[in-house]
Formats: sequence, C-alpha cells, structure tokens
Amino acid sequence: MPEIQIVSDNSNTNALFGKYELGKLLGCGAFAKVFHARDLRTGQSVAIKILNKKKLLLTNPALANNIKREISIMRRLSHPNIVRLHEVMATKTKIFFAMEFVKGGELFNKISKHGRLSEDLSRRYFQQLISAVGYCHARGVYHRDLKPENLLIDENGSLKVSDFGLSALTDQIRPDGFLHTLCGTPAYVAPEILSKKGYEGAKVDVWSCGVVLFVLAAGYLPFNDPNMMSMYKKIYKGEYRCPKWMSQDLKRFISRLLDINPETRITVDEIVKDPWFVKGGFKPIKFHDEIDLKGGGGGEVEGVKSLNAFDLISFSSGLDLSGLFAGCSESERFLSEKLAEEVEEFAKEENLKVKKEEYGFEMEGQNGNFMIEIYISRLNDLLAVVEARRRGGDAGCYKEMWNNRLRVKLTSVCDQTPIATI
Amino acid sequence: MLAFVKRFSLKRTKHPRGYEDPQVLASETPFTVNEIEALHNLFKKLSTSIINDGLIHKEEFLLALFRNSSMQNLFADRVFYMFDRKRNGVIEFGEFVRSLSIFHPHTPEHEKSSFMFKLYDLDGTGFIQRHELKKMVGALLSETDLGLSEESIEAIVEQTMIEVDTNKDGKIDEEEWKELVAKNPSILKNMTLPYLKEVTLAFPSFVLDSEVDD
Repeated sequence: MPEIQIVSDNSNTNALFGKYELGKLLGCGAFAKVFHARDLRTGQSVAIKILNKKKLLLTNPALANNIKREISIMRRLSHPNIVRLHEVMATKTKIFFAMEFVKGGELFNKISKHGRLSEDLSRRYFQQLISAVGYCHARGVYHRDLKPENLLIDENGSLKVSDFGLSALTDQIRPDGFLHTLCGTPAYVAPEILSKKGYEGAKVDVWSCGVVLFVLAAGYLPFNDPNMMSMYKKIYKGEYRCPKWMSQDLKRFISRLLDINPETRITVDEIVKDPWFVKGGFKPIKFHDEIDLKGGGGGEVEGVKSLNAFDLISFSSGLDLSGLFAGCSESERFLSEKLAEEVEEFAKEENLKVKKEEYGFEMEGQNGNFMIEIYISRLNDLLAVVEARRRGGDAGCYKEMWNNRLRVKLTSVCDQTPIATI
Repeated sequence: MLAFVKRFSLKRTKHPRGYEDPQVLASETPFTVNEIEALHNLFKKLSTSIINDGLIHKEEFLLALFRNSSMQNLFADRVFYMFDRKRNGVIEFGEFVRSLSIFHPHTPEHEKSSFMFKLYDLDGTGFIQRHELKKMVGALLSETDLGLSEESIEAIVEQTMIEVDTNKDGKIDEEEWKELVAKNPSILKNMTLPYLKEVTLAFPSFVLDSEVDD
C-alpha cells in the first residue's frame, strides 16, 4: 500500500488514527481500496474502505450532497445479513469507512472456484439475500447495485450484503448514464434502467436478486455476451436459457424474478411466499430489527424495582442530553399506576411484537417500522414510573403509536389515580 | 490556481471565539480528531440556532433539549452551569467537548459520579443537603402534572436520607454518594450517552472538510 499514507497518533505510530492497525489489502476498485484492519482497543477485525476524495468528487460531483444521507442510511441498518458500518473517518484527502469484517470473502469466488451450488444451498443464500433486501426495502432503502462483489460469506456460511445505502458513494453511473459494475459488465442491471425510463429501486433490486440466484444455481450469467450491445439487447428482451439440470420449479421462479416488465415482476412479499423459496421448511423472514420473542407469555409482573429520590430525579427531562443529538432518540416517562397487563393487552390489540424484559417491555410494529421500549418502576405503593423510549425505526410511527394510542390507553385505564407526564 | 484555492480555504477556516484545535481536544478526551470534527458540526448547529456567534447560550441549550428556549427546568440549568466551566454564561466549543467527554461510554464511572454529585450539589457546599434534595424532588414533580402533597414529598426525601446519609449528619457527602452509586449504578444512567460512540455516523459531513493531515 505505497500510496496510503497513514495518519498516526503518538501512542501507536503505525495505526490509522491511533485506532486501527491496517493489514493486508482485501480488494481494490475504481475509487476505493479495502484493507483488513484490527481495532487496537478491542482486538476486533474490521474492514477499512478507503476512498480518495478528489477522484470521487471528479467522477461524482453530487457526492457532497449525498454523503450525509448515505451514511445516515447505513447507520440505521442493523441486520444479520447486512455488513455493519461502525464509523467513518477522514483526512484532507481521504474518507475511511470502518465496517464489519466478513471473513469468508466474496460469494462468487466460491462459484468460480467450485462451480455452481446445489439448489438447496442456492436457496439458503437466496433466502438470506431476500431477508436483507426486504429489511432495507421496508425502510425505504434500495441497494440499486446488487452485484457479486457486494455479496460476502462469513465464517459460519452466512451471506452478508455490503454497501447497502452506499451506492452513491461507489456509484458507477457514468456520464453515458449507464450503471456499470466494477468488473465492467452491466450483467446484473434491470432492463428498465437500460431503457433509461424512470425506475423503482425495489423492482430493480428484485431483478438483480434474480440474476444472482441464476448464477448461484447455474454457475454462469443469464445474460452474457462479449459484445456489450448484444448483452444489453439480451437483457432488454429478457433472453436467457436455463440449464437442463435446473428444476422446473426453480425455472418458473426465476422467470418471475427476471420478468422484464417491472409492473408484473414478482415482489419481495410474493417471493417469501413462493413454493420454491419456502421449500424445505423456512422460518418466516423478519424484515425488522432482531428481537427475541422467547418468553412472551406470562402476565405476572416480576420484581418491579423500587426507587429512591435520586432515581426519581434522574427521570428529569433536563438530565437527558440525548435531545442534543436531535432525532437520535425520543423518550417519555410518566408516573402512573399502570402496570404490565395493560401494556401487554395493548400490544395484543395493536398486533405488536413484545419482548418482556426485567423491568419492562420492548415493542415493535409490523415491518419494524418503529420500536418502543417501555420500562416500569415502582416509586411507592401508589405510583409507578412508566418510561417509553423510541429505540429505532420511524419517528412518526412511534409518535403516533405512543401519543395517540398506548399513552392514552395507559392513562385512561386508571383515572382514579394520579397520572403525570414528564 | 491551486494556491489561490488553498489561501481562500485557509481564510475560511478562521474560527470563532472559544474554538479549540481538535488535535488538542482529542489528546485530552476519549474522542478522536474526527469525532471532534463531527461534534463541531453539532456544536455549530446548536450555537447558531438563536444567536449566530458560535457560542451556546442558555436559550439555545434549552431549545435543543426541549424545543423551547424559555423552558424552566432546574436540572437543565444545572447541566448548563456544569458545562459552562468558565462561568461566563455561554458554552464554548472546548467546554462543550470536554463536558460531553464525561458522558462517553468509555469514561470511567468515578468521573461520571463526581460530575453528577457536583450537579446535585446546588449550593456548591460539597454536600447534597436535605433541602437541596427536597428542592430537586419538587422540581422533578413540577415537570409532571402530578400534584403530590407536601407530606408525600417529605416522605420520599426522608426515606432516601435514611438510606443514603449513613453518618446521620443530615447531608450527603461524596463518600456516601459513592456508596449509593456503587449500590445503585442506574442513578448514573443519564451520565452515559451511547450516541457519543456514533458521532461520526450521526454527523458525517466532516468527511468532506476534515482538516486532518494525511
């Protein structure tokens, strides 16, 4: 890495920002290099993607506007099949992304080495891919550039999608308006992009997933031609041929994914119900933040914590500085006699997912569009403090659910006892 | 041409009163230089919301916390007072970073505990006295629409004094405070802001104009 000048701190002369010890080069693209690195404090492996600002701004002047948005999107994504972004760093000339390190490397190296996968293994990876894609779509995030080098396999054999939300940073949209992949082939690009019509991110991602599935099960690209124009033509017409060893069911399924008409192309919601997709027993995909639903039942309120004056004071909104980081969190606490049964009953009525914790609950709306944490602590014989906190998801949905429904419910059930909102 | 641009940008980086070099702040806090650049982004937003002078005034602080610049809140007043280390009525960038660093998840608990003790020591006597505790409980209750009787407030305070004031001198000293914190660490929950580990992701625009040398 001759041109990577290392920013160093006095404490560790060889570490990036005194924090990450850079290791070997993992990958190299037009604008970015990816290195293995070790977090000196935790010993944890990370991948550091290094972008050259000048090059990036020359090819993508819109970067300045996009970068904030893209990073905020990445930050919100937390899913077992999506590579996590830990932090961003920068110098005058470079931008660094510290990301989760995925040990096994690119999925497609596996195929180029060992050939096509069995239909069952293809299905397993495809299910994980759809789990990640559906999770992002439920949050209004589209990859738009799903391609082989973005699909990694970890040491447990799980698939991880990288660069979700970062598409504009690594954007391969060239002045000719075409999406080019780093390896110089548009093989994964949906026909409606080629025809320069407006396109929908969700539909485009489904098409790319279809191409990925085809490659996994067939071992070669559905649309390929040494002549770029011929390849465009094939994509545009949806001309591909399935190998004879492919099951009829898979052929049918792929034809639904590689439907050139985005209007009739299968959707993620339909994919997860498709007979080929669910074959062999598949636990329902969760498109929301990971929540353990174990131990949901049981209405008894075990161990409500008792509070002293300092606990009480610590509920002051004046001491909660998370408000300075506007939009990061919202929470509300109120004093009430309300207890657990009402919370659980409410969740049932509203069809929310609930996880019981030691002193409270965690609730989640469908599709993970919001998450509420409810904590209940007892102050004295009469009063309990109920604290609600937005843990993630859409702020609007949270406010709607909390202010207009749950709060009303909790405060109305006990009109004989004093209620107070903090 | 390039030289011209450079000079221009040098001029542009002239910083307002109270600005401190991120390198210096990074060496004194758990933050990296980039994290301080990210915090500067937040600081710029907070310090220009009402008066565009690069200093956080009380009204701006209250506006950020409560979306209301004339909010009356004893605890917010105390936090502002603690952040305003020079006691000149405004929070400068260096004060902002150094104070926030106490809320960093990696900052040792005893620093958090000591900050909180001083914050609750309203009169600055080195003790949390009974009347201070009572005043704070009252202030908290006035944030609510809950009209608790004088007696119930008194009962809550009394119960806590019995629990915490182990040498029975009618006030809580720092030793007694430390014992309470050891027994009940959740009292310090407000002193840790997990977001501080994510500031580079929350305020990422620094990546474009970072002044860190390669």
